[in-house]
Amino acid sequence: MVAALTIDGLEVDFGGFKAVNGMSTVINRGELRVVLGPNGAGKTTLMDLISGKTASTAGEVRLFGREITNRPEHQIARAGVGRKFQIPSVFRDLTVRDNLSVAVSHEPRVFRNLRLGMAAADRARIEEVIELTGLEPVLDVVAGDLSHGQMQWLELGMLITQQAKVILLDEPTAGMTQAETSKTADIILRLKGSHTLLVVEHDMAFVRKIAERVTVMHMGKLLAEGPMAKIEQDPAVRDAYLGSGGVQ
Amino acid sequence: MSQSKLFKYGDWGIYVLFIVIVLGLPLVMTDVFWLNRIAKYLVYGMLGIAIALSWGYAGILNLGQGLFFGLGAYMVAMSLKLQSYTSLQQGSENPVPDFMLWNAEPGAPTELCCITSGSWLWLPFQAQGFGMAMAIILPVIVALILSSAIFRLRVSGVYVAIITLALVLLVRLLIIDAQPVTNGFNGLTDLGWLTIGGVEFDPYLVSTYYIVAVSICVVLLATRWLVSTRAGLILQSTRDDPNRSRYLGYDVAAYQVFFFTVSAGIAGFAGMLYVIAAEFASPSFLDISFSISMVVWAAVGGRSSLIGAAIGAILINTIEATASETEMFQEAWKLIIGVIFVLVVLYMPRGLAGLAEDLAGLFGKSRDSGRTRRAQSSAPAE
Repeated sequence: MVAALTIDGLEVDFGGFKAVNGMSTVINRGELRVVLGPNGAGKTTLMDLISGKTASTAGEVRLFGREITNRPEHQIARAGVGRKFQIPSVFRDLTVRDNLSVAVSHEPRVFRNLRLGMAAADRARIEEVIELTGLEPVLDVVAGDLSHGQMQWLELGMLITQQAKVILLDEPTAGMTQAETSKTADIILRLKGSHTLLVVEHDMAFVRKIAERVTVMHMGKLLAEGPMAKIEQDPAVRDAYLGSGGVQ
Repeated sequence: MSQSKLFKYGDWGIYVLFIVIVLGLPLVMTDVFWLNRIAKYLVYGMLGIAIALSWGYAGILNLGQGLFFGLGAYMVAMSLKLQSYTSLQQGSENPVPDFMLWNAEPGAPTELCCITSGSWLWLPFQAQGFGMAMAIILPVIVALILSSAIFRLRVSGVYVAIITLALVLLVRLLIIDAQPVTNGFNGLTDLGWLTIGGVEFDPYLVSTYYIVAVSICVVLLATRWLVSTRAGLILQSTRDDPNRSRYLGYDVAAYQVFFFTVSAGIAGFAGMLYVIAAEFASPSFLDISFSISMVVWAAVGGRSSLIGAAIGAILINTIEATASETEMFQEAWKLIIGVIFVLVVLYMPRGLAGLAEDLAGLFGKSRDSGRTRRAQSSAPAE
């Protein structure tokens, strides 16, 4: 079976500083992978490279065997990569319902969208997402007026509506209360299996709740990879977090 | 889940009222002088719609809309100039614009092909249909090229305003400079009447008023449909957060180019209608102040409402015409409109349309909670 996402020797050079430096990993279909690493390890940059926000200087990204390295963002998105940003990124002047409606993006061309309304199947999918994210009570509220947690769920809901095959989540619980974090974990766990997820997260309690396999990055490189329990015992990982500098 | 609709929250009522008034006006207003004036203001209303489309819905502040208006105006004016009585009086078989004679080298043949350098450009305009078609085609082509360059490079915000502002100035200079072809600073005056199927449209006829009136109604409904489509909704999403739209798979530039170009086409069409009603085209159409006026009309009327922007343009110009004929206001008028603009921007960012909506909300709370439509006065359904 072809892996959902293959990262092969990926590298980016910011004028001499290599934020991601020869990173490789393989994420299988339906897997939920958590990426850990101290500040500056290159986790967010890795997501930028996968989603096309930043152009890599070496290496390859393959989505279900298809090369998508350094394509324009919208093409990578059309290929099946969905991305959630650290700071919630939703359409603030549109209602929640309209946000989800825009996320039905399987037909992205201008002229094909010159029509009112959408297909029944798309509407049904939106209903499912509304149910999953619990946004029913705020459907007609403009997204800019939502609480922080609701905004994050809306963005998650948009990625699901988009039918992204691989979803990149950058700190989905940042700034959330305990209850909100727990609900987010529930949503993410329900996506496992049907979607392939790559999650960057700092909240260890949250990571323990959702993680199976964990990838640890340090100085732009792969440091360790394996089941959560094993990773927590790994001396190299401990050193990296404690900053002993003994990893290189 | 609600089906998408062209109209919601009963704002179709405003549209019906607007269309009824615009089409019914000649029944009550018998003064053809005023009717002709109103026709010009309806043309300005179309410009308001064009601005609302690009500024309100796409978030693109075009400070050079006069470029497209001017191009449209010149294209049809060239055809109408050749139909003018004076153009037939220059001693040649075929019509030649009078100003070309004044600009001709001594001994140059009195023929459109070669009387001045570049006069051959006028040749196809002997067909009125060519001028009318070009009035829309040329602005659309220019807008397509310009906006493709701008939006592919992801230029946004104030930089778009600066580029469009500079461009309209540049083209204005070119037109003034090309005196032998354009009559320079004087513009094209003394035009013939629009003639369709042997019927002449004297600007002071009710039928000419109706050409403009029906046009604005059609443009209004067509743009309303356009922003209600999924493409219109996606366009609004690119205004709010272009990156999010990109990561959903939309080519943001394609949407911006499309709507920018439609807006330019409307402005070109408006330029054509203006020439038909006003009987001249002049480089003043490409003045900065005119392009900025359009933005002011749209802001006062409500930039995120197509009909609001149209009403804003019509109202301001009607009041201006009345006020500037009152001696007391003649000098002060520009100041007054400036103050109104500042007040609207500070206290009524959604303009008259927003005000109307808030008032309607007060009286019709049961229908609409009011909280749902903060930023859009005429938000389309999905």
